[in-house]
Amino acid sequence: MIELSEFLVLGAILFSLGMAGIFLNRKNAIVLLMSIELILLAVNFNFIAFSTFMGDLAGQVFVFFILTVAAAESAIGLAILVTLFRSSDSIDVADLDTMKG
Amino acid sequence: MIEQILFYVFAAVLIFAATMVITARNPVHAALFLVLAFFNSAVLWIIAGAEFLGIVLVLVYVGAVMVLFLFVVMMLDINLARLREGFVRHLYIGVPVAALIVVQMILVLGSGAVDPGALPDATLPIPDPAETGNTTVLGGVLYTVYVYPFELAAVILLVAIIASIMLTLRRREGVKHQDVAQQVRVRKEDRLRMARSFGGSGSTSTGRNDNEHPDR
Amino acid sequence: MTTDAFEIPNLTLALPEIWMLGVACLVLVVDLFSGDRDHTPAYWVAQLGLLSAALITVQAQWGLDVTTFDGNYVADAMAVVLKVTVLLLTFLAFAYSRDYLRERGMLRGEFYLLSLFSTLGMMVIISAHSLLVLYLGVELMSLSLYALVAMRRGSPAASEAAMKYFVLGALASGMLLYGMSMLYGATGSLDLAAITDVAAAESRLLLVFGLVFTVVGVAFKFGAVPFHMWVPDVYQGAPTAVTLFIATASKVAAVGLFIRLIGEGLEPLHGDWQNMVLLLAVASILIGNTVALVQTNIKRMLAYSTFNHIGFIFLGFVAGSAEGYGASMFYAVTYSFTVAAAFGVIMLLSRQGFEAENLEDFKGLNERSPLFALVMLLLMVSLTGIPGTVGFYAKWLVIRSVVDAGVMWAAVFAVIGAVVGAFYYLRVVRLCYFDQPEAEGGPQPSGSGGFRFVLAANGLSVLLLGLFPGALVAVCMAAFG
Repeated sequence: MIELSEFLVLGAILFSLGMAGIFLNRKNAIVLLMSIELILLAVNFNFIAFSTFMGDLAGQVFVFFILTVAAAESAIGLAILVTLFRSSDSIDVADLDTMKG
Repeated sequence: MIEQILFYVFAAVLIFAATMVITARNPVHAALFLVLAFFNSAVLWIIAGAEFLGIVLVLVYVGAVMVLFLFVVMMLDINLARLREGFVRHLYIGVPVAALIVVQMILVLGSGAVDPGALPDATLPIPDPAETGNTTVLGGVLYTVYVYPFELAAVILLVAIIASIMLTLRRREGVKHQDVAQQVRVRKEDRLRMARSFGGSGSTSTGRNDNEHPDR
Repeated sequence: MTTDAFEIPNLTLALPEIWMLGVACLVLVVDLFSGDRDHTPAYWVAQLGLLSAALITVQAQWGLDVTTFDGNYVADAMAVVLKVTVLLLTFLAFAYSRDYLRERGMLRGEFYLLSLFSTLGMMVIISAHSLLVLYLGVELMSLSLYALVAMRRGSPAASEAAMKYFVLGALASGMLLYGMSMLYGATGSLDLAAITDVAAAESRLLLVFGLVFTVVGVAFKFGAVPFHMWVPDVYQGAPTAVTLFIATASKVAAVGLFIRLIGEGLEPLHGDWQNMVLLLAVASILIGNTVALVQTNIKRMLAYSTFNHIGFIFLGFVAGSAEGYGASMFYAVTYSFTVAAAFGVIMLLSRQGFEAENLEDFKGLNERSPLFALVMLLLMVSLTGIPGTVGFYAKWLVIRSVVDAGVMWAAVFAVIGAVVGAFYYLRVVRLCYFDQPEAEGGPQPSGSGGFRFVLAANGLSVLLLGLFPGALVAVCMAAFG
């Protein structure tokens, strides 16, 4: 039988990979969006694991909504990416040419 | 036993695919590895008993969202070399930090802190899968207990539609496009002109000339 | 199965949200068919809709404390105060930004539409009573805001700011969700009341683990230090109309998010989150003050000084008491109205092809427009927290709640922070009154009569609130009574 902690550890690894992806790929907005998808995937793993091991349905319902929202989120993220590319001809978000922190 | 082997195989491929997503040189490869990651996740979810979500992940994510990603990647002419700048520099900080986070999280989650026996009672119990299918059960609560979130999700999708259209639709000058409403609304008088015929052979083109220079 | 016990939800209770959704959809259709280049019909429908929604909120929900939609929705006094605030702030944002956007060719129906949907998201957060609804509300608010920031197409700064905002906002949502998944695992429920019950019964490692992620996620949404990287860029990159909206309404909604999720939902873990919140508060006041001192761009200055105020709002949370939450709420409400007026003055001075963004643009404002120099004086004095202004009462309430909680050093620190804040706020006043304008005379106030009227009224309301703060304080305290 698969243990609950095995699912949660898998979720933790995916979450960390997603976080690492955001910090490594500062120049590449598309991979940034994909890293966000990985983070959401990790969260979904947690919810499904808890849902299964508790025998509770609410976790699966939450995952259903996360999937919906994540689809909307990537649509808007990609739209912003397209405007960014059209206006500055690159998808670079790390070079703060126009704005200084 | 077989379940456990399957879990480890798919989990290993999933972690490999996820690593490739964040390290791939080419965004197209990254997108394809993300597809692989989603497929493996779907299998793992089905193993965990969430069949409907596993299928939705493949249909919605691999079928729609990832295709959208690929569309955008291929539509934009991205300079691949520039994307990699700074990657190695961040690698020295990013990898140890990520490794540290993983170890810490595993220490919490892998330890006895999460004892399945000590989990709280279900507030919305899943009925026996042999009697009611996963999809039926989810559908049952989605339109009753969770009707408010369901409507909110609909509004979020509407916002996504409005926002993407607002951000990306642009009317470019000089591009020929069809206006159906105008085509339907057109009247005979707008298109047709009775040209006076002179009967001579040299003046048959008068009508066309009139069209080209209406003020003449 | 649970469907057998399903009760038809009480729709009249959720009337404010339903009404707002209807208004937003009406604006969509009206704007589509109106063909008016200034989007006048959409503007009036939106403004009337916002005011009527505020009335409906008070009518339908004041004095209640009930849940509906199977515990997903709650209507109580706190919800009424915060929702009315958010609705009025959106009203002000629309009133101020109309001329500004029209002159820049950015006046589009989508601005009203997305702002209205964002407002709806804020209302959903404020009335949420389960993790799921909180998450959906946060996303509805944020997704609309990301798109609004990117609204100025063709501007690299706006797109860049939007992309940063999007990535960090999505990261924050991811954090928040990870925390929520742990809370769910530890308590077995998405309902906030059930979570409070289980959390009170036993303390678990899993619960605290989830709490950490939740606090980080909420701090990101607030823009509290050290999760503030996006704030200055977004404030500067976004059109001022959108900055106004983000700086005011979304902060009020974030107060609702904090109180619902952490203040009330995780109330039994108060001992665990108290120090985290205290740390965020102190860091925010420290960084906000130090960096705001050296800014020359007024939008960036307001962004950094926001941290100072977020720090004060968090200090109110530290106590974890009804007085503390009431103080934070009073602070957030009064602060957002003050800052809304400050952005209004910035937009008043901006005109086509020119943004009154630099502090120099305010030099000698008194000679050009004594009325709005006076408004600016009032606002800056109030933001500083000089006795007799509304900002003073807000700071005083917060500091009193911190003293009651027994964290004396934080109270002393907050007072020092407020004094430092005086430097950069009063610098603006000095520029307006005592400095001579630049050679070309400096920007003249523009804007229609309606705009000027609303702005003057907003400034006057800040003055009146400073003279008679009692009623609003009583309302804020009663909300947690």
